[in-house]
Amino acid sequence: MTTGIVAWMKNNLFSSIPNTIATVFILAILANFIPGLLDWLFFSANWSGETQDDCVKDGACWVFIQAWSQQFFYGSYPTEEIWRINLCLGLLLSVVIGSNFVSKTIRTKIFVPLFLLLPFVSILILNGSWIGLEPVSTDYWGGFSLNIFLAAASIIVAFPLGFIWALGRRSTMPLAKSISVLLIEFFRGVPVLALFFMGSVMLPLFFTEGTNVDKLLRVWIVLTLFMAGYMAEVYRGGFNAIPQGQYEAADSLGLSYWQKTLLIILPQVLKVSMPNILATFVMLFKNTSFLMIIGIFEILSTTQAALSNSYWLGGHANEGYLFVAMLFWTVCFGMSVISSSIERKLNTEHRK
Amino acid sequence: MKLKFVFSVLFFSSVAFNSSVQAGTLDDVKTKGHVNCGVSTGLAGFSQKDEKGNWSGLDVDVCRGVAAAVLGDASKVKYKPLTAKERFTALQSGEIDLLSRNTTWTHTRDTSLGLNFAGTIYYDGTGFMVRKNLGVKSAKELDGAAACIQAGTSTELAIADYFRQNNMKFTVVTFDTSDQTRQGLESGRCDFLTSDQSQLYALRIGLKDPSSAIVLPEVISKEPLGPVVRQGDDEWFNIVKWVVNASIEGEYQGVTSKNADDLRKNGNPGQKRLLGSEGDLGKKLGLSADWAYNVITQVGNYAESFEKNVGMDSPLKISRGLNAQWTDGGILYSPAMR
Repeated sequence: MTTGIVAWMKNNLFSSIPNTIATVFILAILANFIPGLLDWLFFSANWSGETQDDCVKDGACWVFIQAWSQQFFYGSYPTEEIWRINLCLGLLLSVVIGSNFVSKTIRTKIFVPLFLLLPFVSILILNGSWIGLEPVSTDYWGGFSLNIFLAAASIIVAFPLGFIWALGRRSTMPLAKSISVLLIEFFRGVPVLALFFMGSVMLPLFFTEGTNVDKLLRVWIVLTLFMAGYMAEVYRGGFNAIPQGQYEAADSLGLSYWQKTLLIILPQVLKVSMPNILATFVMLFKNTSFLMIIGIFEILSTTQAALSNSYWLGGHANEGYLFVAMLFWTVCFGMSVISSSIERKLNTEHRK
Repeated sequence: MKLKFVFSVLFFSSVAFNSSVQAGTLDDVKTKGHVNCGVSTGLAGFSQKDEKGNWSGLDVDVCRGVAAAVLGDASKVKYKPLTAKERFTALQSGEIDLLSRNTTWTHTRDTSLGLNFAGTIYYDGTGFMVRKNLGVKSAKELDGAAACIQAGTSTELAIADYFRQNNMKFTVVTFDTSDQTRQGLESGRCDFLTSDQSQLYALRIGLKDPSSAIVLPEVISKEPLGPVVRQGDDEWFNIVKWVVNASIEGEYQGVTSKNADDLRKNGNPGQKRLLGSEGDLGKKLGLSADWAYNVITQVGNYAESFEKNVGMDSPLKISRGLNAQWTDGGILYSPAMR
């Protein structure tokens, strides 16, 4: 017997006495743990109802998630205007997916400008006051859609900004170099939480009284600069990986600095840094949950607000946080899938 | 040339903007058409969001009352959820007109932050919640008991002082979050739990069997909670102060949102003065004559607001205690409305 499930088990799970003990031990723990978990999650869970009183069974109270779902996804955005959030999410998704399926020329000529326009178009649509829609102030934005928008908007702006900082860092001009190094090291060296506090607590004190820069705008700027600092270092790794011969070849063709940088170097830098870029994206996306600390109603603080509503005080923390974790995991996993597809697409020369 | 034009426009518009602010919060609020009110990001019964995103609570009712008095419409409030750390900056920088965020009135805050406390809307304090089967009726009987405390709160200090003063011993079991503290009491790891009394009621609801625990009557520290405004704008300070007083006086005079219309015509002189059908109390505040009438009809008097948000008509079921009128054994006392 060398094949089949029994043989596999014998080889992998019960090959020696310590292995056998470990296997039995782990199985015993799982047997103890899993039925209770499944029971709590599904079998004795409460699935339908509208208030806390509908949660009569012992298991999870999913009614809580259901009742608060609009808050969790859209915040306090007016119900009849929610199509605008969906429209923006749709635009984001279609640009991301679309850019994966078009040819390279269209991607650079059309989709890059589209990407760069996206944050500003979204702000126009979501705010509404400049384009004749019902104005919705940022106090009403919130929920998981806000996490997505903030992350996307900062990433999109930080992408070129980080590249400029990285170029500045490599520059021979002393001023450009020192400014870039200062910016990069500051925004990379200070924890994002400290930056948020500076943005929300310190910054307003410097403005003259009455000049109020929107809190969400301040946060967006902070996130963008933080992300740009990280991106600049990611790009620097990419720059270092490009052989010197590429620069010399471009110079010998008589290309100008910007032609060389944008046509020869940038594509190669992007290719080699892609895994790091996407890892930084995922990090930034998860960092948006820190906004809870400064009172912005992203998904995590919406959950806490829901948990402290006097009509929902029955201890639904487990359900709430599990739900948030699941949402974040789903989106981050989606980003990994997209990232590996991009890596495959960009992998031109090293394929065996 | 063009650039110069842009700069001068920017400069003059910023000057114009600033001067409109310096004209005072009242004019500013009237121009904007809403009150920017700083609230907490979620505190049961005080400022909480519901599933629809609507705000309610005792703190929120102060915001609504001020909007009703100034603008005649309690719904004209923009809520700015703030964390504990941001709250004073938001007020100092002018981001909010009024801070109503479960803030304890202390000497230090009142004197050194450039702020003014405009009254007290809830007298809170550190309290005790014990398991019922202990049979304890007073905190004095807690000698030798184990306490569940949330780490890093001022409660820890207050309770240590209290036990030392009374020559009693206790052991401490600390937890990180209030949820864990509650579970500690539930599982019997400690005999009693301490926190601000208003929060004890919220924790109590979270117990599997809320009737298995009772909140003791003793309060061992002073935590008067009230709305805060910027120092140096006496007009606005007066308005917020008297909106709070109007709702307390409303209860004292027996004026409710239900009978205000009737009492405005047929009430006694005190009621009529409050509701604006006699005298000129509103004018002295720079408001319309029906300012208090708007507060009481749209938000309710203090009793209505209390019972709806934290009292017997709410899940929290907090009894009036200290927060009853002085005539009912509490310490709520509005200065005279005349």
